[in-house]
Amino acid sequence: MTRRKRMLDQLEEDIRDHIERETQDNIDRGMSPEEARFASLRKFGNVARVKEQTYEVWSIAWLEQFVQDVRYGTRNLGRNPSLTIAAVLAIALGVGMNVGIFSVLNGLALRLLPIPRAQEVLSVNQTLRFQGRGNRDIHNNEGYFSWSEYRDYRDHNDVFSGVAAYEPYVEATLAGGNVGQILGTAASCNYFDVLEESPSLGRGFAATECSSAGTGPVVVLSDSMWRTQFRADPAVIGKPIVLNRTAYTVIGVAPPGFTGTEPIPSAFWVPVTMDKALEPGEDRLANDNMSWLAMLGRKRSGVTIHQVEADLYVVARRIDQHYSGRTTSLSIHTARFFSSPEERKFLIPVSSVILAAFALVLLIACANVMNLLLARASVRQKEIALRLSLGASRGRLVRQLLTESLLLSLAGGILGSLIACWSFVRLTQFITSHLPGDFPPVSINVAPDLHVLIYALLLAVCTSFAFGLVPALQSTRSDLISSMKGDSAAATSGKRRGRFMLNALVGSQVAVCMVLLLAAGLLLRGLYYAQTADPGFEIKGVATTFLELDQQGYDQQRATQFMNGFVERLRGLPGVTEVAQAECAPLSHDFSADHFTLPGRPDDIPIEYNHVTPSYFSLIGIPIVRGRNFTSAEAHDASGVIVTESTARRLWPGQDPLGQWLRDSSEHVHTVIGVARDAQVSHLGESTSNYLYYPLGPEDDTRSFVLVRYATGFGDVAKSTRTAAHSIDPNLSIEVVRLEDYLEAWRAPSRIVAGLSGTLGVLALLLCSIGVYGMVSYSVNRSVREIGIRLALGADKASVLRHVLWQSMRPVLIGGTIGVLLCAMVSGVLSSMMFGIGAHDPVTFVFVPFFLFGIASAATFVPARRAMYVDPVVALRCE
Amino acid sequence: MSTNEEQGRIELLQGTLDLLILRTLQLGPLHGHAIAKAIEFRSDEVLQVEQGSLYPALHRLIKRKWISAEEGISENNRHAKFYALTTQGRRQLRVETNKWEKLAAAIAQILRPAGQEEP
Repeated sequence: MTRRKRMLDQLEEDIRDHIERETQDNIDRGMSPEEARFASLRKFGNVARVKEQTYEVWSIAWLEQFVQDVRYGTRNLGRNPSLTIAAVLAIALGVGMNVGIFSVLNGLALRLLPIPRAQEVLSVNQTLRFQGRGNRDIHNNEGYFSWSEYRDYRDHNDVFSGVAAYEPYVEATLAGGNVGQILGTAASCNYFDVLEESPSLGRGFAATECSSAGTGPVVVLSDSMWRTQFRADPAVIGKPIVLNRTAYTVIGVAPPGFTGTEPIPSAFWVPVTMDKALEPGEDRLANDNMSWLAMLGRKRSGVTIHQVEADLYVVARRIDQHYSGRTTSLSIHTARFFSSPEERKFLIPVSSVILAAFALVLLIACANVMNLLLARASVRQKEIALRLSLGASRGRLVRQLLTESLLLSLAGGILGSLIACWSFVRLTQFITSHLPGDFPPVSINVAPDLHVLIYALLLAVCTSFAFGLVPALQSTRSDLISSMKGDSAAATSGKRRGRFMLNALVGSQVAVCMVLLLAAGLLLRGLYYAQTADPGFEIKGVATTFLELDQQGYDQQRATQFMNGFVERLRGLPGVTEVAQAECAPLSHDFSADHFTLPGRPDDIPIEYNHVTPSYFSLIGIPIVRGRNFTSAEAHDASGVIVTESTARRLWPGQDPLGQWLRDSSEHVHTVIGVARDAQVSHLGESTSNYLYYPLGPEDDTRSFVLVRYATGFGDVAKSTRTAAHSIDPNLSIEVVRLEDYLEAWRAPSRIVAGLSGTLGVLALLLCSIGVYGMVSYSVNRSVREIGIRLALGADKASVLRHVLWQSMRPVLIGGTIGVLLCAMVSGVLSSMMFGIGAHDPVTFVFVPFFLFGIASAATFVPARRAMYVDPVVALRCE
Repeated sequence: MSTNEEQGRIELLQGTLDLLILRTLQLGPLHGHAIAKAIEFRSDEVLQVEQGSLYPALHRLIKRKWISAEEGISENNRHAKFYALTTQGRRQLRVETNKWEKLAAAIAQILRPAGQEEP
């Protein structure tokens, strides 16, 4: 740097010297001194620019210029506080919302697991491909492993210091507890060691507890379970608790804050060898062809992910040799919540839609700021023209203007991010704590981290270009001479282009706003429908209880015994008018489906089904419109089925459905004995999909819903239902809910999404009307002279107003139409929340555009009215 | 913003100024004004150098260590800065000259046939 300083210090002197010599030369050639000096200056060129260019040689020029630009920009923005504040607020709003939603998605999908040295922990998933015939039993997730596969990977790799496997989301009932179902984990015995989460009380599993099937009836409780169910009593260690009818000794309590490695917290952990006791019915441990265990491995230090891959593939190839035609491919990622490919396949498109919707609001905010900058650019025309004529290059000026934009968007971005990080943490807490009861609590950490910071920064920089580039280019392209003279009318030789810019800006703003408002409108309609829908059956006045007796240790015979006694007692209760049993209660999110074939038709027809007792139809008020109901003698395997009206119409158009037959996927033949009326029993808003009813028999007693229609209050019925169950089996865990409550599970997602999109829509509308207002007042200001001339030539005020209104509404109308078309193209993604209204609901598509155009005309009218009060004399004189 | 009003003068190609300065300094150390004069003189005043542009170029060359700057006394007994080629600069001059000759030859090659068609 010293060399640089020495060189530059003398630059001025050198140049002066140079010019003096040249002047002397010229004088020697016979010029007059004055002439000589001019000639030498002319020959030398622009001194200031030479100096600047020389400085640039030595400086890290862009940095110095940047600092200079920042200083200049700060001064400039400070001089225009109202504009600066408006722009910063608009950007803060847009960027803040985006950063906020990103921090939520980050918490869901990008954040590492909350365990020590989480970056070392890899999640391994497999995809199996079969040549020819091959099948695989799947429990929970097809990417999971079988017990034997897990042990192969665990024992034959050189890349992991430990590999753990676990079955997530094991449902259990705690005897004597005051909670319904709790979710736990069946884990390999090295689970706590691999995750490096040693229990805060007691101990983790010992290796011997996993030695063979059925060993190790021990349990580790989660911290919150320990606090809520056992009053944080340290003496619980060593005591037995009963989960799903099996006694386990409590050996430890997990550290506070550790809730497992899945998004839904685990309440307890038991050795995986206890799986059969915990979930009777299937022996998964012994089934080598069953995907049911998630696998996490902790890398040894210094091992790369490629080495891990290479090493594990050796094991995979060896396992493949045992199954002809099977090829395993592995996907290995740093472990996160939602790290399996199956979950990501769902999460990525959903997050993209959400991020896109939020980005649209940011886009509108950008358009607003751009509007402000364009308006200011016309004020700054003179300054810029002056700098251009003093020899500043256009690139340099553009860079300087962009620096100002960057300052604006950084200020807005920082403000917005701070607010977002603060408010979204609280907002998420609020939403997760207000989810309907049967929603599992989700643990999302939305606190900002490096990802969020980088995202916010990137967003701010992109934003500054989005709103800054066009005004910067536009304002440095002016006609120097006329701008300097202050002739603003002539300076807008690019006036047509300028107006087009403004119009395009407003148009796109309206288009984006229209898309968001339409989406919000559609979702609100869907929500309204979900709140008020008539599902086609009598949903009120029905209590329902879901009994998984097999999980509570019953075999089929005892279950049937229990059910018979239970139903008997329920029938005898005062106020109970009807009792029925069904495999799936209506709208309970329990679905069963099978593929059927019809005689003479080659294709497989997917049909949803339910097993029900004869009283089911009268209980929920679905009449049998043709044929007959089941009789109580018909059991699970009886050949008669009842189909719904639309199913009958679809399968046997123009024929009598009664007596027709169809074959299920296990080749059983069923005859249609009756036709039931359509109702939305499986999906809300969908009554015409294929659906049929089988009779219910003793086989179904181990797992079925019991429905009770009552004429008195729900509280009494719920209480006496519980009493009835406990009088047969005092240890039974039973939960009674209203059938109506199932509607809540359908409404909750649409309520959240509608709330979200409604908020976005309102914000978009606000920003958009500010944008339209700004554009119109700006263009009225710009065309004061034109309006003055019109008035002077005898135009009346009304026609001037009409002219201005038309000029301003045209881009609004065009943009709005484009928005409607765009939304119509993409609104299909919302159809699952429309409950049968359809993604092109005419009410929304008529009402929302009218509403938006109404708001836009109001925003136009206010500034346009000013045009009427232009005084032609003043307008023409002022220039 | 050039003042290229005199006929028959050619503006310098971008980047050739460096080469000309190096070549001029091959004869010995010179001060800024003398370099400008030398270039003009040696090209029979065909090449037009905006004299100011000499200075960024000189500083660029100093930064690359191809030339050095020394304080000295000029012919009329005034203090002046003298620029001289360094060893590295000499080597660079050979490289650049070589490159330029190749370029000139190649362009001449391309232009020749068109020139021959005209009588």
